[in-house]
Amino acid sequence: MLSQARGGRAVQYLIVLVVAITLNFFLPRLMPGNPLALLAGVDVGLLKPEERAQIIEGAGLDRPLGEQYLRYWGDLLQGDLGYSYRQKRPIVDLLLERLPWTLLLSGAALLLSAVVGITTGAISAWRRARAIDLGLLWTMIVVNSLPSFWLGMLLIAVVAVQLGLLPSFGAVTPASGYSGWTHVVDVLRHAILPVITLSVISVPDIYLTMRYTMLGVLGEDFIRTARAKGLSERRILFAHVIPNALAPVVTVLTLRLGYAFGGAAVIETVFSYPGLGRLIFEAVSGRDYPVMQAAFLLFTVAVLLANLLADFLYPLLDPRTKAA
Amino acid sequence: MLRKATQRILAVSLVLALTLLLAATAAAQGAPVERLRIGILGDESTLTPYTYVTGYPGWNLLLLQYDTLYQLDLDGVPQPWLATGAEVSEDGLTVTIDLRTDVTWHDGEPFTAADVKFTYDYFRAHPEAGRFARDLRPLSTIEVTGDAQVTLTLSAPSPSLALGTLADVPILPEHIWAAVETPAEHDFGGVNIGTGPYKLAEYQAGQFYRFVANEDYFAGAPLVKELVVVQFADDAGSLAAFRAGEVDMLVRSVAPEQIDLLKAQEGVTIAQGPLFTTQMLNYDLGRAPFNRLEVRKAISLAVDRQDLVDTIYLGAATVGSAGWIHPASPYFNPEVVTAYDPEAARSLLDEAGIVDSDGDGIRELDGEPLTFELLVNGGDSLRLRIAELVHEMLLQVGMDAQVAAVEQGTWEEAVWPGFDVTQGRDYDMAVWGWSAPVQADPIRISQLIHSDPALGSLNLTGFVNERADALSAQLNSETDPAVQKQLLDELQLIIADQLPFVLLLYPDGAYAYRASVYDDWAFMNGQGIFHKLSLLPEAARP
Repeated sequence: MLSQARGGRAVQYLIVLVVAITLNFFLPRLMPGNPLALLAGVDVGLLKPEERAQIIEGAGLDRPLGEQYLRYWGDLLQGDLGYSYRQKRPIVDLLLERLPWTLLLSGAALLLSAVVGITTGAISAWRRARAIDLGLLWTMIVVNSLPSFWLGMLLIAVVAVQLGLLPSFGAVTPASGYSGWTHVVDVLRHAILPVITLSVISVPDIYLTMRYTMLGVLGEDFIRTARAKGLSERRILFAHVIPNALAPVVTVLTLRLGYAFGGAAVIETVFSYPGLGRLIFEAVSGRDYPVMQAAFLLFTVAVLLANLLADFLYPLLDPRTKAA
Repeated sequence: MLRKATQRILAVSLVLALTLLLAATAAAQGAPVERLRIGILGDESTLTPYTYVTGYPGWNLLLLQYDTLYQLDLDGVPQPWLATGAEVSEDGLTVTIDLRTDVTWHDGEPFTAADVKFTYDYFRAHPEAGRFARDLRPLSTIEVTGDAQVTLTLSAPSPSLALGTLADVPILPEHIWAAVETPAEHDFGGVNIGTGPYKLAEYQAGQFYRFVANEDYFAGAPLVKELVVVQFADDAGSLAAFRAGEVDMLVRSVAPEQIDLLKAQEGVTIAQGPLFTTQMLNYDLGRAPFNRLEVRKAISLAVDRQDLVDTIYLGAATVGSAGWIHPASPYFNPEVVTAYDPEAARSLLDEAGIVDSDGDGIRELDGEPLTFELLVNGGDSLRLRIAELVHEMLLQVGMDAQVAAVEQGTWEEAVWPGFDVTQGRDYDMAVWGWSAPVQADPIRISQLIHSDPALGSLNLTGFVNERADALSAQLNSETDPAVQKQLLDELQLIIADQLPFVLLLYPDGAYAYRASVYDDWAFMNGQGIFHKLSLLPEAARP
């Protein structure tokens, strides 16, 4: 029974993947605008018809859509993501250059927001309806409504421009020649503002989930039993309440892990950070089809994998769900 | 005693002042700067002629590494550069070009006539670098005819040979490129060998370029030893970094509303001057009401160009000439009259019988109200504001131009489907604009107005006029500058009279930099301050 359920799951994931890849192929082509401008550069209007045709042909854009689609699958199965129209470089290179920066940014932000979100959520639930709970709740609701680009620009204006404490852009000081520890410190200094921005906007979700589930757990019979047994408050909190409240929070975090691969397009753009999100943003605005497809594919696979991980982790954290 | 002390203080102060003065003059006279950091938007890839991305600043960065046979001087006029001169035969079909003999490639190999022939043949054999293949269209053959001489044979006399070909095509080293079969995808290992004043030393995708000066540059060692070009994701980010002192100059023209703010900041200088980009109104001349000359004239008379310049650009723009050419251009015809007179617009329409008969404020033509769509790309806030003001101005004379803000791709596809005028057009009226090169080469006026798409490849409004066709065809093969000027003068009058489009204004270029870091920028007429001459000693600027 169990293995059959797992097999069904696998087929489900496969179907989602195929649908996602198909959408990936067709969506950018349905967008208005013509990629010829990028292929041919600014002077596209001055091309002779035969030169125009030669360029379109070179990129395979003259073939029937169906043939382009099959070709796309063929290349994909061979691990060939193609060339960027805009940058004329292999897309695999582009992705690999950007991936570490995105992982650094999103990973650090995920960790930070998890710690802050879980802690504040636990405090809030534990001290329900007291001043600290209400204060935290209101703060989180306000923070949740802040646009991320606005928060990023505010930090740049105050911390980088006015106070000059931290760099305003990028992942490293350009052409600094730093190496070893100075390089590490340089990277960290550049990561601080974007990581803070990213974390601040992700904390409320985690906080609200933690607070809500913990309130649920606090009302359960086994907590009453624990109190009746005369266990210390500390022991009840750490041995019974928090572990039982964590399962949904871990699900939220795992899904965020998947989205992390997509980068934080807005934050990476505001801070001119060389991550995947900014690559996607630039590819979309420049109609760089192959890059869009490859980046969205990576994004899709990451989200699916994160889902898979959540499916796998959940029964470990909450044995009740194992049977299903 | 007291007097002695005073004298001593005086003497010391004098010496100190002299030293400071000397130091200041040394800096002003272009003493080498160790490092200059400039900000651009977006990634320009590996910066070979086949991979650079944008016409500005990509092409400018490309030409820091490579040279052309001719180089534009600060007035925008081509002067000999890798060439020492060119001689054109009587019939205009043979051009003999003499080359410098003291130039070496970055790897130490000598630059020769064979490199020039190789380059011109290579770009034609590999037309993926569209711009340079197009530049070389007038050419039928190129031969090496001497130790330092090449001879070009043209298929027809080419009036813009120096500007459009010799000053535009970067010369490649044969000993590197001869083995390159797929230029767009070839891996040069990050080293682009050229003859230019800078060598690309480091490229971090999405982050920055580092160029180092070519100390052996034939025209003189560049004034800046190391040039760091930082890639920003957006305007706001680059502006913040500039204000924080993390970059010393911004390659992109500063938005009008930022100019005064930046000027007020200590140590910031703004270089402002004419730019040959345009903002204009295009319309489909095949559609009513734009097929009526009275309506076009009324539109041109009804738009208050000065008001657009003052309100939207806060003065940082030049009022448009109805004849297309910028008043700061040497080819401008001062006889062109561009008037703002809504009263005259109203009477013109009244006389033509285009009146408001139902009293709703909008005139009718053949029973149809003068209501049409004014298409604009909503992502461009300046253009959007132009559209809104034009809507109000046209309402004053009884026309209802309804602003439709759409995404860039949709707007482009409607005005210029497939970037191919033979595919027609699908819009009423649109706010449009051309980049600087279209105006910088005056011969290209014919592309805007000639009715045959082969020549009029930028004729987006479908303009047909026999006289304009004849003159612009003649302009395309006329090599005598005096006759060219005459033809251009008459063409500007025809455009101002027939109004194939309504030119509104030319935005000024405004470039922010810190003079304390580097102060030798030179404004090139119509092109701005970011070009290789700005980084060369004054004696090396032609």
